[in-house]
Amino acid sequence: MSLERRMLIRELKLIIARPGDIIKPMWFLVLVVSMVPLALVPDSDLLSDIGSAMIWVATLLALLLNTEHLFQSDFSDGVLEQWLFLNRPLAWLVGLKLIAHWLFHVLPLILITPIAGIMLSVPMEVLLALLVTLVIATPALTCFSGLGAALTLGSSRSGILGVLVMMPLFVPVVILAAGVLIRAMDGSDTLPLLALLGAFSVVAATLVPIAVSAAIRLNIGGSN
Amino acid sequence: MIFEPIDIEISKLSCERDDRLLFQSLSMTLNSGQILRVAGPNGAGKTTLLRTIAGLFDIQTGTIRTNQLPLKECLGQILYIGHKPQVNRDLTVLDNLKFLTGSDDDHLKRALRDVGLNGYHDSLVKELSQGQGRRCALARLWCVETPIWILDEPYTALDVEMVKTLDARIASHSAAGGICLFTTHQPPQSLKYATLELGHVT
Repeated sequence: MSLERRMLIRELKLIIARPGDIIKPMWFLVLVVSMVPLALVPDSDLLSDIGSAMIWVATLLALLLNTEHLFQSDFSDGVLEQWLFLNRPLAWLVGLKLIAHWLFHVLPLILITPIAGIMLSVPMEVLLALLVTLVIATPALTCFSGLGAALTLGSSRSGILGVLVMMPLFVPVVILAAGVLIRAMDGSDTLPLLALLGAFSVVAATLVPIAVSAAIRLNIGGSN
Repeated sequence: MIFEPIDIEISKLSCERDDRLLFQSLSMTLNSGQILRVAGPNGAGKTTLLRTIAGLFDIQTGTIRTNQLPLKECLGQILYIGHKPQVNRDLTVLDNLKFLTGSDDDHLKRALRDVGLNGYHDSLVKELSQGQGRRCALARLWCVETPIWILDEPYTALDVEMVKTLDARIASHSAAGGICLFTTHQPPQSLKYATLELGHVT
């Protein structure tokens, strides 16, 4: 069996062994989306106006929640240092891990956003735009927060630090996605902004694994 | 199986960690079939030396060459087992080994029988005892064909019988032309090895 397949199978088995890892962020997303309307003026026009943006931000936060410890358990078990002996470039293995993470952890989050959208009476065409922006933008977000996780591997309270370090990279993605949502509400053309978002993800997916592998090497070099 | 002739050439290797000099101008050559025990008191730099040879730590000064090639190009020929468990607690014994070695089920089951974990294939690693977890990590020695073994404290938590089994495995690896470096504070009785004493640098 090829290493690539072994790696994907291992990730899948880890999820089956620890289902909480994906259920908790989904639960968080549902909780935010169901609590905010209770705290607001009960007005369905208002909700459908802000609903898509709210779901977007809640998804981003849920994603950060399940990515902050992306490499932590492999690092402390010593499995991560074994990657160096697997006869493959470290960046390639990191890329695989990020792809697996996106497929098994982030995609399920995106799949429940339509339900959240219906709860907040978000119009159908905006909901569609929301889904498309999430699918296009989350690879970049996953990469960035994975980089934050790798950079802070060695420190004991790594979670929030990694998010803070990566915050500046999240901002343009959120702004572009908000642009798409606003245009979708107006009914104007969203394609140019979607293309920009896509470009962001492509660049992140190609360059970030290299940076992550450097960060991992740095952390392995500094630990026993 | 017999390994191709292999050698590790270490020259003028020095290492400093946290402003403390661990070893200085260390030069040696390891050839096929050699077993080397790195000895020394706690903090002498045994783990640091092994991790440097394994390529996990950057070389500060000096060079390490394997078959005349720089270390970075030979990592695939090294099997390193360190202090950390090297296995994931939430996965089964078999799944962990399958990921790390890529061997097929029959091969792995044979290796597990050799290390006395017969019948534990589908147990989660967290359900095993300390020594059994160690056996699980060491089972890799029975199912990969890597010429260079670097084992940091492989005897920790093992019972007398497993220590003998491991000694025999290291001996047969050496007989096949492999190289083995290890550290331990309990010198193995039934194994012939050379010793490198660390900790004399002042």
